[in-house]
Amino acid sequence: MNQSIIKYILGKVLEIVGLLMVIPMITGIIYHEEEAFSFLFVGVLSFAIGCFTTRKKPSNTMFYLKEGCVVTSLSWILISVVGAIPFMLTGEIPNFIDAWFETASGFTTTGASILTDVEAISHTSLMWRSFTHWIGGMGVLVFLLAVIPMSGGSNINLMRAESPGPSVGKLVPKIKSSAAILYRIYLGMTVVQFVLLVIARMPAFDALCITFGSAGTGGFGVRNDSCGSYSALQQWITGVFCVLFGVNFNFYYFLIAREPKKSFRMEEVRVYFGIIGASVIIIFFNIMGMFNNALDALRAAFFQVGSIITTTGYSSVDFDLWPTLSKAILVMLMFIGACAGSTGGGFKVSRAIIASKTVFKEANSYIHPKSVKKIKMDGEVIEHDVLRSVNVYTITYLAIFIVSVLLVSIEGKDLVTSFTSVAATFNNIGPGLAKVGPAANYDCLSYFSKIVLTLDMIAGRLELFPLIILFHPAVLKEIFIRKKCSQRAS
Amino acid sequence: MGIFSKDNSASTDADPLHIIIVGCGKVGHTLIAQLSREGDDITIIDESEQKISDITNQYDVMGIVGNGASYSVQKEAGIDDTDLLVAVTDSDELNLLCCTIATRIGKCSAIARVRNPEYSTEINYLRDRLGLAMIINPEMEAAMEVARILYLPSALEVNTFAHGEAQMIKFRVKEDSRIVGKAVHTVARESRNVLFTTVFHDGRAYIPNGDYIFSPGDTVSFVTSRHNGKNALKSLGVPTANVRDCMIIGGGKAAYYLAAQLIRESISVKIIERDQKRCEQLSSLLPNAIIINGDGTSADLLKEEGIETVDAFVPLTGIDEENILLTLHAKRVSEAKVVTKINRFAFQDVIDSLDLGSVVYPRIITSEAIIAYARAKRASMDSNIETLYHMYNDTVEAIEFRIGAPSAVTGVPLKDLKLRGHLMVSFISRDGTIIFPKGDDTIEVGDTVMIVTTHTGFSDIVDILA
Repeated sequence: MNQSIIKYILGKVLEIVGLLMVIPMITGIIYHEEEAFSFLFVGVLSFAIGCFTTRKKPSNTMFYLKEGCVVTSLSWILISVVGAIPFMLTGEIPNFIDAWFETASGFTTTGASILTDVEAISHTSLMWRSFTHWIGGMGVLVFLLAVIPMSGGSNINLMRAESPGPSVGKLVPKIKSSAAILYRIYLGMTVVQFVLLVIARMPAFDALCITFGSAGTGGFGVRNDSCGSYSALQQWITGVFCVLFGVNFNFYYFLIAREPKKSFRMEEVRVYFGIIGASVIIIFFNIMGMFNNALDALRAAFFQVGSIITTTGYSSVDFDLWPTLSKAILVMLMFIGACAGSTGGGFKVSRAIIASKTVFKEANSYIHPKSVKKIKMDGEVIEHDVLRSVNVYTITYLAIFIVSVLLVSIEGKDLVTSFTSVAATFNNIGPGLAKVGPAANYDCLSYFSKIVLTLDMIAGRLELFPLIILFHPAVLKEIFIRKKCSQRAS
Repeated sequence: MGIFSKDNSASTDADPLHIIIVGCGKVGHTLIAQLSREGDDITIIDESEQKISDITNQYDVMGIVGNGASYSVQKEAGIDDTDLLVAVTDSDELNLLCCTIATRIGKCSAIARVRNPEYSTEINYLRDRLGLAMIINPEMEAAMEVARILYLPSALEVNTFAHGEAQMIKFRVKEDSRIVGKAVHTVARESRNVLFTTVFHDGRAYIPNGDYIFSPGDTVSFVTSRHNGKNALKSLGVPTANVRDCMIIGGGKAAYYLAAQLIRESISVKIIERDQKRCEQLSSLLPNAIIINGDGTSADLLKEEGIETVDAFVPLTGIDEENILLTLHAKRVSEAKVVTKINRFAFQDVIDSLDLGSVVYPRIITSEAIIAYARAKRASMDSNIETLYHMYNDTVEAIEFRIGAPSAVTGVPLKDLKLRGHLMVSFISRDGTIIFPKGDDTIEVGDTVMIVTTHTGFSDIVDILA
């Protein structure tokens, strides 16, 4: 294990977090709020520590997948802890576990909150909460790759550990350019949504926070009823952009690269829109009776489906009151999640496609036991390794899920609450059902459950394995017992 | 190889080239390593999924699995925006096909590796007819390098410049050498037409100034004109005998090229080859050589065939470990000049520590030629790199520029140019004569100029200016 490079990258991450705190600071200055000083203090401190650790480039800059996973997990734990400190200093969330839960929920783009009264929080802190969504959506390390001059191929291991999806490829030969293209698309779409919301007469502060929330598919709102009090047009814009941010970003890259054929050939994107369409239609007919006119019902159905499948977690109405069929569909969508290579979380549409194809293949082999059939996606054969990793991912996903539900149920809440609280945090959505539903929040849970759910959020965002690798005995041993040879190698 | 780019590279400000490399074998791998260090955008194509994933994990390149000669695969690799395609698969024919298709679809230049001796005489015809930029033959280049060393057996390495008019010779300073303890300018005055370009001392390479004092164990490179090599070495206290006979182990392509070249220079050649069929082939191709069918790694056979008395011994088997062991064996039992061919590049530090003497790396020769071409392509159209050599573990580059158009360096006396440090203008070749430049000499359009420097990545002659 190359500790020096891990330390160096963590230092860089600290520097970046420090710099990012300029955004809430500016907000605080605009609104003349003294909370800005907390962010100033933490930002400067974090930046200074970062500079101190990175003052010397390590001589051995080689790192492998193992180091990539460790550094990614550690970075995410680090940023959620550092990002939580200002909340404690301002006194808005005095308890560390609560603040950590809230910040991790922000960076992992979950959007689950422990705050009972969001409107009582200062603009400064609200901006930071929403801004963590935007950073966490595309990933801190991808950001690092885009802005810091690095060369060599081994840093694909960083991108691999942080980017969602079963297989990670590059758009262009250089990883720095790939990361920069992703961030450019991301920034461009963010600006468009913000401008549209402002044109639709949303207050600029709300518009910015809501845009950050939907771009990162996070879901922190700035009002107690999430998006319920916004106008119909504003809700439509937010809903549509949630859906767009849940699309695999390769889709947009091909569009920009003038290869629309490749864009529309992407099976994952087509299935994704298919699922959205079907769910909207079913829920629409299911809830029509609850609304005065059909357009309102359609808007509510579309907004909720778009918000849940992309794992954003905004709500325009309290869907906890909807019929069971609609709620069941929403819970199902929570698990499917958005496309790979998007900012959304969940199991990912592409994995769902691959998994269901393997089931069909298996069924087929009962009928023709000697048949040879390769599973394809987008017209390309899927390598055995990818299939295997999807299968293993599924098992691990279920195992962690079950264990988490078990741990959360210790405190004795009802089953729906326990089940959906894990589903909503593990898949990075936000609101669940019953006591953690859209009209409620996570404050009612015990600290133990909050810690479990916080780790679930990070595990879900990093797609399980980087965090599991961190706790692998062999890796723990290497982290804590510094080997002499690691300094000699170059 | 690290993740943080080196800052001393001069090429970072230029637009990166888009390069496709077909085939990720030994040469392909070296090329990827070298070109990605030069900052180019590289896409690699290979049929093996495993190789692609290994290389994309190691280098910042994009990989595509498929047949490089296929139109759709080339399209997918972005042949339309590509500047250069290099085909270095195992098959000559596939390489030629890749390049032919690439030049027809895109506007890119194409370089193919063609190794088969049957094509080697038709190389120029093939290149011109198929519209290729270059055809490279690592085996032949390696053989030529071995032949040059055998011509000056006390040298470690001999590289040629200016179409062979100038050569750079590398030798090791022995304990009892007469230049030990003397300064560079004293030695240079004593031996005419010699310019010291590089000194390798204590694990580092330097461009020496006149005051450097030679110490035993130094490895020194100097430039001299074509016919002066022997005299120059003699005046430096490294007398050179003529090689009259040479024993080659292994009868591959490189062995054939080397034997043919040596026979042309009337050196008698003995080839030991294990495979009966190949022996018969070689015997018909090289009627003047002695072909022995036997195991070249058997000490008894080597003794029987006279390894103890032979003037030169060149192990050219396909297996590096065998070559290295044979070299060490030959150094023990005989006085012969030994040149070792090393194909792979693993365990470089171990190889360096073995004191093998002269070593040639066919892969490096190939990649140097291609990098020279790529750099010239990246630079302005009127400048051109004729030759490029990496020396001393890639820390020193010797580059020969052809001056195609007036620039900031032309027409100005060298003493008035503000040159970078750690850099030397070694010679100017004008109308076939080699000039070792003094302060009043100028660089003119039409010259070729050789630069030796510890900066890496020069692509244009104006890069020499500070």
